[in-house]
Amino acid sequence: MTATLAAGCTDRSTGDGGDPGGTVIIAVPGTFTPALPIYSVTATTVNITSQVYDRLATAPENLSSFGDAGFEPRLARSWTWAPDSMSIAFHVNPDARWHDGRPVRASDVKFSFDVARDPRSGSNIAPLITNIDSISVRDSLTAVAHFKSRSPEQFYDLVYQLYIVPEHVLGGVARDQLTTADASKLLVGSGRFRLARFEPGARLELVADTANYRGRAKLDRVIFTVAADGGAAVAQILSGQADVFEFIPPDLVARLDSNSPARAVPFPGLAYAYLGMNQRAQRGSGPHPLFGDRAVRLAVSMALDREAMLRNVFDTLGVLGVGPYARRLADSAVTIPPFDRARATALLDSAGWRAGPNGVRAKGGRALAFSVMYPTSSKPRERYAVLIQEQLRSIGARVDLTAVDFPTFQRRQEAGEFDAALISANPDANLGGARQYWTAGGMARGGQNFVKYNNPRFDALLDSAVASFDGARRRDQTRRAWQMLVDDAPGVWLYDLLFMNAVHRRIRTTDLRADGWWAGLADWTIPADERIDRDRVGLRPAQP
Amino acid sequence: MVHLAPGDPFGAEGSRLTPELREQLRVRFGYDRPLVEQYGRYVANVARGELGFSHSLQMPVATALATAIPRTLLLMGVALALSFGLGMWLGVFEAKRRGTAAARATNAITIVLYSLPAFWLGLMILLAFAYWIPIFPAGGMRDVALADYMTPGQALLDRVKHLVLPVLTLVLWTGAYVARYQRAALAEVLPLDFIRTARAKGVPAHALVSRHALRNALLPMITLAGYLFPYLLGGTVVIERIYAWPGMGWLVTNAIGSRDYPLVIAAVLVGGIMVALGNLLADIGYGLADPRIRAR
Repeated sequence: MTATLAAGCTDRSTGDGGDPGGTVIIAVPGTFTPALPIYSVTATTVNITSQVYDRLATAPENLSSFGDAGFEPRLARSWTWAPDSMSIAFHVNPDARWHDGRPVRASDVKFSFDVARDPRSGSNIAPLITNIDSISVRDSLTAVAHFKSRSPEQFYDLVYQLYIVPEHVLGGVARDQLTTADASKLLVGSGRFRLARFEPGARLELVADTANYRGRAKLDRVIFTVAADGGAAVAQILSGQADVFEFIPPDLVARLDSNSPARAVPFPGLAYAYLGMNQRAQRGSGPHPLFGDRAVRLAVSMALDREAMLRNVFDTLGVLGVGPYARRLADSAVTIPPFDRARATALLDSAGWRAGPNGVRAKGGRALAFSVMYPTSSKPRERYAVLIQEQLRSIGARVDLTAVDFPTFQRRQEAGEFDAALISANPDANLGGARQYWTAGGMARGGQNFVKYNNPRFDALLDSAVASFDGARRRDQTRRAWQMLVDDAPGVWLYDLLFMNAVHRRIRTTDLRADGWWAGLADWTIPADERIDRDRVGLRPAQP
Repeated sequence: MVHLAPGDPFGAEGSRLTPELREQLRVRFGYDRPLVEQYGRYVANVARGELGFSHSLQMPVATALATAIPRTLLLMGVALALSFGLGMWLGVFEAKRRGTAAARATNAITIVLYSLPAFWLGLMILLAFAYWIPIFPAGGMRDVALADYMTPGQALLDRVKHLVLPVLTLVLWTGAYVARYQRAALAEVLPLDFIRTARAKGVPAHALVSRHALRNALLPMITLAGYLFPYLLGGTVVIERIYAWPGMGWLVTNAIGSRDYPLVIAAVLVGGIMVALGNLLADIGYGLADPRIRAR
């Protein structure tokens, strides 16, 4: 499989294929509908949003959220910090235009923020911009953001989360009607692509905005086409009917050999998967009868041979989990519990779990038996579940597997209706995003702390780190916080989600970013001598 | 029943959907009301011709159905016509050559095809003709990149090319069934007295079957057509998923997965109507085929 990957991944990045042109078809399993940025939650809708709309600036390649270093201007040509850092004046690019030709103004920035934080709109980014007090309009091209407090991530919080939308299109829509209003579906943005047509259940087509202030996209068109499921999308890729399929499963990689029209393109991500152990009882508010005990959690962690499981499921394409973060954000000084079955057994012995006649341990009449829940939509997690069941049998634990479809998995995960679950997390790169997953605040509805990990000392350390302007102190506090969490063993860190896209060989991609492989889509190119029929359509209008 | 399925109608949107937005959407779509009230409202709305709003597709249910039903009818209609054509021809072929090696071979092939699961057959055909020998598209109804730039003739050809594989799957799957049914029906008619009389009067063997026996063996085939009409609807669910054909089958499976209650219920309604329609067409067909029924 590694050889296949190597053969397929010839260097076709850093697109610079000469004349602009070409059509890229992205096969999407399942349905999608275009949505405003504040409602875009799935990978496809976020992809579409990021092509059509702009932020004030874009985060650096390393996704640093500390200050504004490395941020590149987008709709804001420049910005000026107030001496006390309690406000930032953004100077809107005077050349920026909406797709209907109207100029982008500072009032659009204010409007976008007001909509995003208005509870009536139900925006999904409102919890992420709470430190921003307001945005005022100094003049037609200057919007001033006022903050409630200084923080190292204040610039990131505003600029990364907020896409700018047109006030003249959406201003007349009632805030609580934005999710379904026709005006919301027009997708009038300022990005390098604009919406050409949308056929529900079939396709969505974006075309290059030739008058864009950042220069026209190097592709003519990007078409998102609906495939029934992953298998149908794979069929479209392998037959050359589609050009891109995102997040291809590991077993498809081997089929993308040199004879295939597509190649596998790996890219970094921020997502990871872990076996989460629920520390709260499913009924009532007390601790979980098994996982409320740290010794049990630690024993489970140490009983699992994570490397062997990784090889079994992903062969050589897996990336071992190193903690509650992706490897690219990991601190190598943080050590996680090692694989040591003898110690795991000793831990259980000392905690009073005695082996019964059937081989299953028990304590106080309660068997060391629990269920592991996983979504049927994830083949890797399904395979991990079976391996975990088998490995834990060796320490006297009886594991039942609960397979549920994805909506059910989400509901039970959020409701805490599980003993243990194979959870995938996809946090933002900033420390503030980690709060949602592991602090007490993340246990509230809408949070991601599904295992109900609750350690006030951890929360305090993380809060101090987030608020610290001293880089060294921040790193130290962060390291101590993560080590504390890892020692508490709320989960077993299984693997980083290794993302790979299948991309047609004629396409030259840019380097794919961890926060969105699609970030550079407007700069992908197709050399003129490799173009096929659909690349030669250009930007001419459709037949009536 | 669909409400019994675990999951939130808006859970498929991802956990980043805030509780406030979920609650707002629940209220807007009426999911916060008691189930009995929801049902009453739904029935009253259906009586007025309103089938509700699909939150997964962000459009009225009626619009979604109006888009999907013709696509499924196209697929089903073509498949049904070709299935019967092929199936009846095979049945007559076997009846005329009964006892020969050709009839036995045909019988064996129809048994095999009849036994194969539709999804497996579909996947194999897709693999064979869209991947190994890539002469047909791997899915969809038309070329998403070029369809809008084709001449009418090119567009028609494109549509036909996209129809071939899903129709072929359905025709092989149901045609074998029809063939066996036709063969059995002919086997019942051929020993009858009027056939013996015709044979004694010197009617050639091929005319005996096609002109005399077939007409009388048609009534069971009309029953079968009425039965296959909704049966194919179930089959197209699988075929539409394999070939990414955006018809009713695709619509229903996505609606169930998204807990899109109005769309699921409307789709079930449509299925029920099609069953009734199939039976009605069969009854009408009886009258046309059998003058005794018309006289009665």
